[in-house]
Amino acid sequence: MGDAPPAAGRTGTPLILEIKGNSLDDGPGIRTVVFFKGCPLSCAWCHNPESKKVGPELSFDPRECAGCGLCIETCPRGAIDDSIEAHVDRSRCDLCFECVETCPSGALSRVGREMSVGEVAAVVEKDLPFFRTSGGGVTLSGGEPTLFMDYCSRLLARLKEMGVHTILETCGLFDADAFVRTVLPHLDAVYFDLKLYDPAEHRRWCGTGNETVLANFAELMRAGLEGGVEVLPRIPLIPGITATDENLEALAELLRGAGAERVALLEYNPLWLEKTAKVGGRNPLAGRDASDRWMERSDVERCRAAFEAFELA
Amino acid sequence: MSGKSVTNLVGSAVLRAMSASFNYRGSVREQMRSNGSWTDMTVGIRTENRSVEQGIRFRDGKAKVMGRIPADVDVTMILADDAVVWDLLKATPNETLLMLLRSKIRLEGNLSYMNLMNYYISVLLAGQNTKRNARIKAADAERRRAEAPSVQKALRGEMARRLAERMAGEKVDPGVGYLEDPYLSGYDISDFPRLKRFVDVHFTTRPEICGERPGLLTDWFQANGFETDADGNPWFPPTRQALAFKYLMENREPFIRKDDLVAGTTTTKEIGVVVYPDTHGTMIWGELGSVSDRLLNPYDISEATAKTFHHNIFPFWTRRNMREWVREKYDQPLCQKLDERFAVYFMWKTAALSHTIADFPRMMRLGTNGMIEEIDAELARDEGASVEKRETLQAMRICLEAVNAYARRLSEKAASEAASEPDPGRRKELERMAEICSKVPAGPCDTLDEAVNACWILWLSLHMESTNAGLSLGRMDQWFQPYYEADMAACATPEETEECIRRAIELVGCFYMRCTDHLPLIPDIGNYLFGGSSSDQAITLGGTTPDGRDAVCDMTYIFLKVTEMLNIRDPNVNARFNPEVNSDAYLKRLCEVNLITCATPSLHNDLAVMESLEEFDYPVEELRDWSATGCVEPTLSGRHMGHTNCMMMNMVAALEMAMNDGRHPLMNWEVGPRTGRVEDGDFENFEEFFDAFTTQFQFLIDNSVEYNNLLGEAHSVLRPTPLLSSMIEGPLPSGRDVTLGGAKHNTSGSACIGLADVTDSLMVVKKLVFDEKKVSFSDLKRAVDTNFADDPALHARVTRKVPLFGSGDEEAVAVANRVAAFAHDAFRAHDNFRGGPYTAGFWSMSNHVAFGTLTGALPSGRLAGKPFTPGLTPEPNASKNLLDNIRDVARLDPHSMNNNIAFNVKVVPSGSDSHEQVVDHMFSYVKTYFELGGMQMQMNVVTSDMLRDAMAHPEEYRNLLVRISGYNAYFVTLNRDMQLELIERAEYGI
Repeated sequence: MGDAPPAAGRTGTPLILEIKGNSLDDGPGIRTVVFFKGCPLSCAWCHNPESKKVGPELSFDPRECAGCGLCIETCPRGAIDDSIEAHVDRSRCDLCFECVETCPSGALSRVGREMSVGEVAAVVEKDLPFFRTSGGGVTLSGGEPTLFMDYCSRLLARLKEMGVHTILETCGLFDADAFVRTVLPHLDAVYFDLKLYDPAEHRRWCGTGNETVLANFAELMRAGLEGGVEVLPRIPLIPGITATDENLEALAELLRGAGAERVALLEYNPLWLEKTAKVGGRNPLAGRDASDRWMERSDVERCRAAFEAFELA
Repeated sequence: MSGKSVTNLVGSAVLRAMSASFNYRGSVREQMRSNGSWTDMTVGIRTENRSVEQGIRFRDGKAKVMGRIPADVDVTMILADDAVVWDLLKATPNETLLMLLRSKIRLEGNLSYMNLMNYYISVLLAGQNTKRNARIKAADAERRRAEAPSVQKALRGEMARRLAERMAGEKVDPGVGYLEDPYLSGYDISDFPRLKRFVDVHFTTRPEICGERPGLLTDWFQANGFETDADGNPWFPPTRQALAFKYLMENREPFIRKDDLVAGTTTTKEIGVVVYPDTHGTMIWGELGSVSDRLLNPYDISEATAKTFHHNIFPFWTRRNMREWVREKYDQPLCQKLDERFAVYFMWKTAALSHTIADFPRMMRLGTNGMIEEIDAELARDEGASVEKRETLQAMRICLEAVNAYARRLSEKAASEAASEPDPGRRKELERMAEICSKVPAGPCDTLDEAVNACWILWLSLHMESTNAGLSLGRMDQWFQPYYEADMAACATPEETEECIRRAIELVGCFYMRCTDHLPLIPDIGNYLFGGSSSDQAITLGGTTPDGRDAVCDMTYIFLKVTEMLNIRDPNVNARFNPEVNSDAYLKRLCEVNLITCATPSLHNDLAVMESLEEFDYPVEELRDWSATGCVEPTLSGRHMGHTNCMMMNMVAALEMAMNDGRHPLMNWEVGPRTGRVEDGDFENFEEFFDAFTTQFQFLIDNSVEYNNLLGEAHSVLRPTPLLSSMIEGPLPSGRDVTLGGAKHNTSGSACIGLADVTDSLMVVKKLVFDEKKVSFSDLKRAVDTNFADDPALHARVTRKVPLFGSGDEEAVAVANRVAAFAHDAFRAHDNFRGGPYTAGFWSMSNHVAFGTLTGALPSGRLAGKPFTPGLTPEPNASKNLLDNIRDVARLDPHSMNNNIAFNVKVVPSGSDSHEQVVDHMFSYVKTYFELGGMQMQMNVVTSDMLRDAMAHPEEYRNLLVRISGYNAYFVTLNRDMQLELIERAEYGI
């Protein structure tokens, strides 16, 4: 049993988590990142936990809460309870979002908004002057954009018409034929995430095996080296999980075999823990050492050592 | 005793104790003596409702307490109520100041006498105040350390790291002739030991108040009369000033600083504080005994100097200064009373009329002798010239000769020092200096060392005449370039060329360091209004030539190198970037220098600034020759008296008055027009409220203009400036001093403060009260009046649910443009005393902090006492995305902002990006902002952690430069509120 790629993508309009302008960490220049909602993997450390589910969610940020209690009065199902830490009883909430309308501070908010290709393009358009001066562009991220190949294809085609440099960040679990046919032609680069080399470990921490992921990576790398779209492998460094010497050496070997010359190492940060709580999720890494703090400099250096032969992006 | 309170008895007892000291203690009694006679004055003190009313009269060497305030009182201190009297009795001088600022106390009458009264009090409390000041300082240091105890060594290395990673540049600018690496990356300060020593002196020398200028001038006026001459005939003011100036220049000490390549000093001190008693000098009177002890920016003062000021200088000027002249002639008009309450506007004209740019190129080309010949030729040509014109031109002539006399004395001094100099290298330099000063500024300049020395001599001379507040240098890169080229052309070998470049850097470095030899006199209250400010000597680089070509040249890059190496606050470096003409390589270098120095230069979009001035139909070649003045404001170099910072206008005060039917809450004064009561539902729609706001704003503008014009008249009477007149195009044909409108172009520039705060507040009223009807106006007002204490939900709603200026919202930008257009039009409708129009700018020096402390909560949710945003910078909460800020500011209409703007951005380089990447990011922001039409931008490249560490450990960050709003300051010299404001500014990672 492997990782069955999702059906050639969902049709229809995805939910957009956020369109984040002025990003300097998701490719060259000043970039606008479009975050999609929904992912076929379920990595334990997911740094955008609010992007895991395809459907909309209710988020509660206790730091923003003014404590006015209007939401409690408003909720038709009595799902809001300020005596519990999470503030929202998810078992009762039916996602009507009436509380979001009422909340004066924005502590309660709706995660995920349906946006047409035209709406996304209109937001991006304002940033075009910044792309021009900085050599930036748009990066599709998530969640997993390839869950919505048809939409991605149309959005990217529109962006290319606008002259925008495009990157797609992916977990690698997609139907390669459909991807190569509909999405890849509109891309300038693919940022391809590799987490764990061992399929069993991958299944344990990410919810699926990695056979398709690795096969897709090999295929895209090959196409890239033959003059196709550039592929940049990226490895999230998760202490004790991906950031083990064993895993990193295996991945380095894989990259060498695939002919990669550059790699990006993404340092662990603990900010996702707070985000998980906001959407009422639990922390799958609770109690694990080092999961609640930023990586030590020395640990990053240790991880880098495994990739000495590569240019670090 | 009817209506009098018990407190009145206490007040009386205190004054009686004071008068007894004066009458029976000989040494104290002596304090009442000035210039051989007794100083007479009467001071009143009362509460608003006269529950306390006392007077004290000093006459013929005797002090006498009066149980009332006589009609001929000189100055009265009015306290809000009895409680304030008790507070005052316990207050430190610093606390008294804050009570004054916060309208617990107000003053009516001659402020010089109030300052003298403060001096008397300080004499009686001398020992006690020293102890109090020591306690305040110790407590302050303790508090800082407690707040950030950890020593963050990593942060302290940050500045050195940036410097070490500097880039090389490519020779792409057509105007660069000799520099193969225009970024001059091969040089650093260790190549210039002389400059390194000067920088050390700069950071380790405490400024000292200098009595030379005011002393010599006062001597001359006492001997020759001020209003009338020795024969009793009224003086023609420019003639009087010229003769006094001549006396000053012929008698002041010619100094050559150790090791310097540039001769002459502004004062007799290493770093001197210049005193101008005809403007705001007497403000320091009360502090003569304590200024060296004060917490913020203390000055040394010798006992002898303090005595001279008290006994000989200040008594002469108690009534002969700008404020008091207006008070006496116009019977303390309302417009003056408003200024003296601090909360609605601050009139810089009380201190200076010097925000302008002199015509240095003409001086270097002709020499002062050539300028004198032109005066003589004009007098010969215009046979029918009026007496006024003849005398005005003669006065200019006298001043130029006085400058020559001073230069001659510098030359002699250099020669005599050379004769006794043991070191042969230095001897040669001194001999060359003697040669230079005997040739220029009298004759034309031929070489760069002559040009630099001539400009410095004129520069310090101008400061002997006009207050050192905003007088600006102009386009020094353009103006020095021909002399540099002449030097370079004479080089025969590559070694000589190299040495010549090195020498050019060193000369410009010496010139910068000379500009730091003086500081403006800031009374302690100024530390709270505009702390840490130097005299804001702006210098302008780059842009285009008068005929529209790329003006970036070797000297532009040499100035940038010096700016980078010295990393000091003066001169205030402004760079023009013309997107149609200037290179990206030049803009990248500007960004790199900004990164390395943390805060400078300030960046201007040439096209937008020139567009903002379109309405004046200036000849295009004159427009292209604009320079930044003081902070950021445009002046047409050498031909324009634009007093570009005549006032700081608090727009938020107008909003508060509109919320309160014309009453200003802090002053508790029903002073504005009655525009309607929010509580009574007088406003049916947003437009009605907007009208109320503009009605109040118009009222404040009309008053501020009226006062500024009266002060303009005072300047023309008390201190016309014939030397400056000789250095500006216009007076030669017009025959009028520049203070009387003799310059070719005349304007007055305002700085309107709080655009983002006003816009956001108006947006809240518009959206929540009228469009969405989420809250009633009276409920909103009640929340505002109570600082939102009882309504956290409403506070959350106003701060979170209304699109603010800087968020990318069309409507908010439209409101901001509407407010700016109103300010512009209302100012534009007035003419100044010199016959020119008013302009409107949107920058704030540091008054966004000071005015903020004097302002209650706002509909925008900004809480009482908090700073406004600097300049027109969006509120930190407006958007998480810097691009939204950039776009919104760029969409403001330059035509409404013809006195320029200050848009502050705090960016923080990411640890993982290379130096070059960081520079590229900065470049992209600025370039795009300019392409979108933005006028001006200034970046602070620091982290809040670094600023916090500096707050706790100031000794480690003496040279940490920050841009406030328009000017640079050393972070550690700022008052606490200003430091916190900088820390709380939105911070964007790059």
